[in-house]
Amino acid sequence: MQLSLFTALALLVLTATGFLAGRTRALAIGAREEGRLHSLPNYHGYFVALWTGLPAFALLALYAVTGTMVVNTLALGELSRASEPLQQRYEAILATDEDHRAATASVERLEAEIRMLRAEADAIIASEGPHSEALAPLRARQEERLFDQDDARFVITSREAAIAGIVLEAADADVADARARAGFEYRRLPPEQRELFVADARALAFADTLASRDTPELRAAAEAFVPRQQALAWGVSLAALALAAGGLAFGRSRVTRQFRARNRVEWMVSAALMLASAIAILTTLGIVLSLLFESLRFFASIDWRVQDFLFGTQWSPQTAIRPGQIGQSGSFGAVPLFAGTGLIMLIAMLVAAPVGLFAAIYLSEYADSRFRAWAKPVLEILAGVPTVVYGFFALLTVGPLLRDFALFLGYEDAVTQSALAAGLVMGVMIIPFVSSLSDDVINAVPQSLRDGAYAMGATKSETIRHVVFPAALPGIVGALLLAISRAIGETMIVVMAAGQAANLTANPLESVTTITVQIVMLLTGDQEFNSPKTLSAFALGLVLFVLTLILNIIALRVVQRYREKYD
Amino acid sequence: MAEDANVKAGTVYHPAEGNRKVKVAASGVDVFYADKQALHDVSVEIGDRAVTAFIGPSGCGKSTFLRCINRMNDTIDTARVSGSIRIDGEEINDRSVDPVLLRARVGMVFQKPNPFPKSIFDNVAYGPRIHGLAVSKDELDSIVETSLKKAGLWDEVADRLDQPGNSLSGGQQQRLVIARAIAVNPEVILMDEPCSALDPIATARIEELIDELRENYCLIIVTHSMAQAARVSQMTAFFHLGHLVEFGPTEEIFTNPRDRRTQDYITGRFG
Repeated sequence: MQLSLFTALALLVLTATGFLAGRTRALAIGAREEGRLHSLPNYHGYFVALWTGLPAFALLALYAVTGTMVVNTLALGELSRASEPLQQRYEAILATDEDHRAATASVERLEAEIRMLRAEADAIIASEGPHSEALAPLRARQEERLFDQDDARFVITSREAAIAGIVLEAADADVADARARAGFEYRRLPPEQRELFVADARALAFADTLASRDTPELRAAAEAFVPRQQALAWGVSLAALALAAGGLAFGRSRVTRQFRARNRVEWMVSAALMLASAIAILTTLGIVLSLLFESLRFFASIDWRVQDFLFGTQWSPQTAIRPGQIGQSGSFGAVPLFAGTGLIMLIAMLVAAPVGLFAAIYLSEYADSRFRAWAKPVLEILAGVPTVVYGFFALLTVGPLLRDFALFLGYEDAVTQSALAAGLVMGVMIIPFVSSLSDDVINAVPQSLRDGAYAMGATKSETIRHVVFPAALPGIVGALLLAISRAIGETMIVVMAAGQAANLTANPLESVTTITVQIVMLLTGDQEFNSPKTLSAFALGLVLFVLTLILNIIALRVVQRYREKYD
Repeated sequence: MAEDANVKAGTVYHPAEGNRKVKVAASGVDVFYADKQALHDVSVEIGDRAVTAFIGPSGCGKSTFLRCINRMNDTIDTARVSGSIRIDGEEINDRSVDPVLLRARVGMVFQKPNPFPKSIFDNVAYGPRIHGLAVSKDELDSIVETSLKKAGLWDEVADRLDQPGNSLSGGQQQRLVIARAIAVNPEVILMDEPCSALDPIATARIEELIDELRENYCLIIVTHSMAQAARVSQMTAFFHLGHLVEFGPTEEIFTNPRDRRTQDYITGRFG
């Protein structure tokens, strides 16, 4: 790490030197030759500096990203080669082991039986429906087979462990061959533990973090990492310096009187700007693709019953803890979540649309400029309050208040966490979005239209109702749509104040849950990453993304069309 | 003008057309925008059933004075108007005068056509509706038709009254706006550079219209084009740096100006 730091500093110095070299040479040429330089000396300097710094820094960046991976691959390859004799001995013993062979065969046989039972059950469901009595014995037998299969699997793993122990014991005599034992150990590890092994080995090798354990095997593995890491680091540093020196010499040789350094530098500027926007776009694309692929995995795990997900009314994503248990696929009907999201959004907009709009009209049409000068920023501060603060405001103040009020009115089932509490507070949160955007569009209505109405003898409110508001309407609709998409995506308030029960209800005093709340619930806590329960969060995320994307596209189009009308 | 023997009290004299009743009389009008004085002590008497043109270089206060006549300056927070303006002898800067009702009597047409984002019909019907001038749908229809006819637009839009007002061409929009102003049956019509956003053909059409409207209304028009002032107006007022420099019959102003500044402006030496 320190080596890379020194290299980077050296490269900076070289780059500065490159700038001076290019500039000096250009000045010398300008003084010596007839006619003007095509570009100012500074541009020649920038040009040489870019040639000096860019390729070398690109190499360093590449090393920073892939260096660790390269070293790991090389070192693990070495370990794997060293462990080859042990691995062969292990495989030879395994091949002759009767218990292991018998257990493997029984796992396969049970697998076939289970598949048959499933097919039978599906046939019965298809002909007699999912509540047929004939299903019960089938399910019982299936469960029995699954238990047997688990037992057989246990036999396999314990035999494998025992044989590995025999092999290692035999190798123990040869203490010097710790490296071979390390490679053998690594090969037998399941994938998720391999990462830990590598991390421990690296920790012992470079002593930069603490290892979780310390064994002779890990020490041996660590020794395989050290030289490769050093070689790569030195190699990369030297290569970077060589590239920089080469770039400097090349760039400097290009400097002539007619050389268009200015245009080249211009090109680099545009390339850098393009790179920045490409990063933003690619990041978005990456997020969308990861959402998409994880959603596809989810849909695959519920057998592509996409319609059940989109239109099912039962949401209970709990799945069995032990794999192989019957009924492990929970119920993933997302309609209660969509309905909850919709209900809260509706309540929020009922608050935010009129209040935000009237505030915008007051600020842009009635308020005098001094009041406006401080009222508008204050209103926008409301948008800066962290949503978690709104959340506990909703949970601790608004929720109990609404509950007590409902109880007072004689509604017995009132609860603290209700759609109404979350919706009201969310409405307050998005008021500044509505008012700020509406204020902008109302201000964009040309003064000449107002003058026209005033000159007809219209009063202020008539002018606003008949002329300004209709003219600003498309923009206001756009503002409302943006506010809606913000409300749909809002998480913290609803997590705290709306409850978690997936009720399908239109009663605002009941607890409901939203898409965002369920995503939080599904992904927090210990989770298996390949269970449908976890994956369903990605499908919900995808739905949310598509919804807000559509709303944003419509809103932007509406606003744009409105802008064109007056420009 | 005071030395002219033909002048009678309460009238404006024009050598070719004789005396005209005074419609708008201003005396000692000052206008301030915040701390800046835009108009200094303007006094003028404007005759009825004639076209009076205000000319002068940019920023000379001619539009500011025009906006005093229907109290449009009230809509600007920082504007302050003092002095007296009378229409038919009635003071309009009085607190008791409702500017909303005043503006129904004094219509205004702006530089850029500004039809409301409504249909052609609703644009013209807007004034009668807010002032309650029509009791029935038939009456409203006839007001709209008459106004559009007076503005010379009826033949072009009769079959598409339900289309949006801003679907018309610039010249048509300006005539629509004039029809809109006429629909409330005003006594005075103010026009603030009504042709500056239009092409020459549309301009000619509007000028013709202004000449026709003179039969029934007191028209006051601000213009940058001296040729236009000469073509359409009977009386001309020349403003310079917030002062009313000279006021008189148009021919006199253009052929025999009394003030040096008027002469310089008219001959194109500045402005």
